[in-house]
Amino acid sequence: MLIKNRLSKREPNLASPATLRGRRYCSWAFVLLVAFLSVVSVEKAYSSALLADLENALMCTCDDKCGKVLGNCTCDTSDKIRIGFTEQLESGLTVQQIIQEQVAKYGETVLSSPTKTGFNLTAWAMPFVAIVAGGFGIRKIVQTWAGRKKEADASEKDKETTDSKPGKYSNQLQQELDKLDS
Amino acid sequence: MDDFTLQYVWAYSSRDLDTFYKISSFWGGQKGSLLFWTLLLSIYTVIVHIQNRKRNALVVPYAMVVMMTITTFFLVLLNFSTNPFEVIPVPPEDGRGLNPLLQNYWMVIHPPTLYLGYVGFTVPFAFAMAALICKNLDDSWIRLTRKWTLVSWFFLCMGNLFGAQWAYLELGWGGYWAWDPVENAAFMPLLVATAYLHSVMIQEKKDMMKIWNMSLVLLTFVMTIFGTFITRSGLIQSVHTFDEATLGYYFLAFLGVIIVICVGLILSRLSLLKSNNELDSFLSRESSFLFNNLMLLGIGFATFWGTIFPIISEAVRGVKITVGPPFYNQVNVPIGLALLALIGIGPIIAWRRATWSNLKKNFMKPLLAGLLAAGVLFPFLPLGSRSEIYSYITFVLCVFVMTTILIEFFKGAVARKSLHDEKLPEALASLVWRSKSRYGGYIVHIGVVLIFAGIAGSQSYSAHTEKRIKIGESLKVKEFTFTYERLGFIEENATKTRAIAQVGVYKDGKRVWTGQPEKEFYKGQNQPVSEVDVLSTWRQDLYLILADFGEDESATLKIYVNPMVSWIWMGGWVIAFGTMVSVWPDRLEQRRRLERMKIQSAVFSPAQE
Repeated sequence: MLIKNRLSKREPNLASPATLRGRRYCSWAFVLLVAFLSVVSVEKAYSSALLADLENALMCTCDDKCGKVLGNCTCDTSDKIRIGFTEQLESGLTVQQIIQEQVAKYGETVLSSPTKTGFNLTAWAMPFVAIVAGGFGIRKIVQTWAGRKKEADASEKDKETTDSKPGKYSNQLQQELDKLDS
Repeated sequence: MDDFTLQYVWAYSSRDLDTFYKISSFWGGQKGSLLFWTLLLSIYTVIVHIQNRKRNALVVPYAMVVMMTITTFFLVLLNFSTNPFEVIPVPPEDGRGLNPLLQNYWMVIHPPTLYLGYVGFTVPFAFAMAALICKNLDDSWIRLTRKWTLVSWFFLCMGNLFGAQWAYLELGWGGYWAWDPVENAAFMPLLVATAYLHSVMIQEKKDMMKIWNMSLVLLTFVMTIFGTFITRSGLIQSVHTFDEATLGYYFLAFLGVIIVICVGLILSRLSLLKSNNELDSFLSRESSFLFNNLMLLGIGFATFWGTIFPIISEAVRGVKITVGPPFYNQVNVPIGLALLALIGIGPIIAWRRATWSNLKKNFMKPLLAGLLAAGVLFPFLPLGSRSEIYSYITFVLCVFVMTTILIEFFKGAVARKSLHDEKLPEALASLVWRSKSRYGGYIVHIGVVLIFAGIAGSQSYSAHTEKRIKIGESLKVKEFTFTYERLGFIEENATKTRAIAQVGVYKDGKRVWTGQPEKEFYKGQNQPVSEVDVLSTWRQDLYLILADFGEDESATLKIYVNPMVSWIWMGGWVIAFGTMVSVWPDRLEQRRRLERMKIQSAVFSPAQE
């Protein structure tokens, strides 16, 4: 605090134009350095995010055929593959280009999930089609069952009007059922 | 134990192997695991016989025949195809030893737990088949197997969770679930069995959905055999596949026979299985259970479809493709979220018919709690990616579901308190004690909510770094600084050497933990095994892996900060507690069920005739 005060007091008197210019250069150099470092670190963060995308999109291609997605694999081969991908990313290749290169080399099996084109679309669509169809089916079933119940209730009412005794007992049974259900 | 005249003992054990692992090597290979399966099945058969030796004379003999037929299938395999007692003519001095990856305490716990679940589902399957064969299709087979189903479900559930924990601690990639085909194979019967446990309640209460429940219990068993087929066929590439996976055709044939018999029996008994299906309203707990079944089976189907799609693709296009985690995460997560919402809706929607006023009354507080959580979490959680949005929705739904469950407990306890003049904790305890099945189920739901929250937290907000550093250098992940301090070596025995890195962990300049990740080298093994070190707290796991090291003592460290992973394991224990409560003998519940059955038979029998 003391030093800061002393500096602020001395500054107006001691700063010559040359010093001021020097300071300005220093500030610019500092700003540029920060900008460079942040670009580098962003670049690195960006490249590590891209590597994560690749690790998620591709399978490990080790000789053991471990069957693991690259991101989950811990074998020596997977480490070498990662280093290779990092170098390719740094050389300017995009994730898509690297993926295409891998598919050309190993075939479609190197991809960790089916593509969303052609026959592979059935892989993605089928579960949802099944659920939607099942949902409609359940809706239809529930409506049918509820309708059946309504019909049964209506005929029960008709019965009650003609014969009061059984209606009375069935009401009692219904109430007991209600009690048990609650 | 060290009888190396037996080929299997030689292949999976060695003299200096820990006794603990010598026991686990019993199920370490295909032959041994089949023998273990047969042993469990035989024990279960004996228990079923002892339980029922003086009762249920109509169904039990048939059930025993079914169980013994299945046992015979396994015995045929063991005797004529994959004999675990094969002898080596000139016995070697020592064995090859157990795969280092299997030398982990989870190996002792995870497979037996999973097998107890797998094999356990044979009992409800056998009773369902018996009921179909002898045309005794009332609820008796369900009552007889209720606890078997619950216990098997519990073991399968815990087996899956233990497997996840093993993968997390042993495989060293920072995750716990990889959607491997064999993981899927254990997950699918769990989903179908969960669907059955819910829909069977409708049959017990309303004598409905007999065909559906019968199909579900048979499908659960079919799925357990399908899982075994995958592990032992080598047809689908998997981390878990046994080295000598050669039994595919046997299991495929067995699977085919079971499916044909099951479908045939159901079709031939269709008229007897038809029940008087009536629902009072679309807005009812029964409907919500049907949708719950749809979601569970939806996830089950998506998982099955993903597992077999490589075979379908190869058959149709001649191209074998891979279906890995990105597929399952994209397909199953939205369905899982719908299921989570239904876990909240199911218990508070009324049986038979829910009126709008009733819905408003029951849903108001949980919905408000959910909205409040959405508002409170919004500024704190990043929503930049699909995964983060899913996690945000999961947290909101977790709060909604948890509120519905807690309100159920609270309402019941308050009502009991005022009725019986008890203190609130006492009222709560006796409430649970007097309705074990219902409140045990709610406790299980709490466990499931914790698992959902744990998955959401760990999948979207974890951070990791990997770098080669020298002694004294540091890495920063989130608010933690990890300083690599030293590297040491321990020669544990003639076959095993451990390289241990010491890593000091600092938060705000204060040392909070000393991690010691290891790399273990086994004589005769090409790949060393990573032993991760984890500091697990309720907030996050600090997860350290020693990936590699050099002669200059520099080391490649992989560091993960995984939030909320411990919630998943905690959820597992809550599920265990809830299942224990549910399974605990309940005379009151039995009496209630008997009364209900009497009344039901009085009400429904004329309609059935």
